[in-house]
Amino acid sequence: MSLADVKAYILEAVEGKIDFEGQKQAEYITRVALIAATILAFAVGFILQSLQVTFVILGVSSLALGLAVIPPWPVYNRHPVAFLPAKVEKDSKSQ
Amino acid sequence: MHSIYARVNNVSALLSTCTMCLLAAIALSSFLFTASPQGSLDIASVQVVPGNARRYRNKQQEFAFVNFNITADLTPLFNWNTKQLFLYVGAEYTNRQGAANDVVIWDKIIRRKEDANLTITGRNKYVFREHSSSFKKAPPAHYTLKYNLMPYVGALTYGEIARTTEPVPFPESREIS
Repeated sequence: MSLADVKAYILEAVEGKIDFEGQKQAEYITRVALIAATILAFAVGFILQSLQVTFVILGVSSLALGLAVIPPWPVYNRHPVAFLPAKVEKDSKSQ
Repeated sequence: MHSIYARVNNVSALLSTCTMCLLAAIALSSFLFTASPQGSLDIASVQVVPGNARRYRNKQQEFAFVNFNITADLTPLFNWNTKQLFLYVGAEYTNRQGAANDVVIWDKIIRRKEDANLTITGRNKYVFREHSSSFKKAPPAHYTLKYNLMPYVGALTYGEIARTTEPVPFPESREIS
C-alpha cells in the first residue's frame, strides 16, 4: 500500500460519506428529534419551574442526536447507488 | 449532507433555530406570571439634621434621615425566569421650585426565593439631601417601596409593593443631641 493510498483511505474515513437514502433518513431524524427535544425541554422546565432542567434536557438530547446522526453508521449505507454497466464504445472506423 | 461536515452543519443550524425559539418561549412565558405582591412600608421617623456638604466645606446643608419598617412577601415574584429582584424605597415630593423629585434612599437585591419574605427595619442607605440644600419649605413626601424584576431572558418589569397612605412631613432641622 503506497502513501497515496493511505492518504486516500484516511480522507475517505474522515469525510464519512453515507448514501442518499441514509441522508434522507438522517435529516428526518434530526428534524423530528430536535423539535421534540425543544418542546419537551420547555414543558418539563415549565412544570418543574427550573431553567436548568430545560437546558440540560436540550443539551443532552442534542449531544445524543449528534452521536446518532453525524458519524457514518452502517445503517445509513444500506442502499448503495447501483450504477448502470458501462457502455462499450463502438469504434466507427472498424465498420 | 453527504459528508460529516454537511451533517454537522445541518444539526447545528436546526439546533440554533430551536434554541432561539426556546428562548423566545421562555421570555414570553413570563407574561403568564402576573403576581402583584402587596406589603407595607411604615415610616417610623424622619429627622432633618444640619451639616456641611462633603464637597464644599463651608456650605451648610440639611440631611434627612428616614427610619422605616418593611414587611412584604415577594416569593410570588420568583418563577423559573426570575434571576433577581431589585427592591428600592423612594421619597416622592414636589419641592418649592415645582420639581417633582423621586429620590431613591434605600435599595436591596434579592437573589433567592428563600430570602424573599421580608421583615426589615432600615434607615436610608444613601444620603438624602434637598437640591436647594434645605428641607425647610419642602412639602410632605410620599414614600414608596418598588421592585424591578430582572429575568434570565426577556424584559425587565417594574412594580409597586407599598406606598405610605399619608404624606410624611419633614420636621424642623435640629442638631442631634
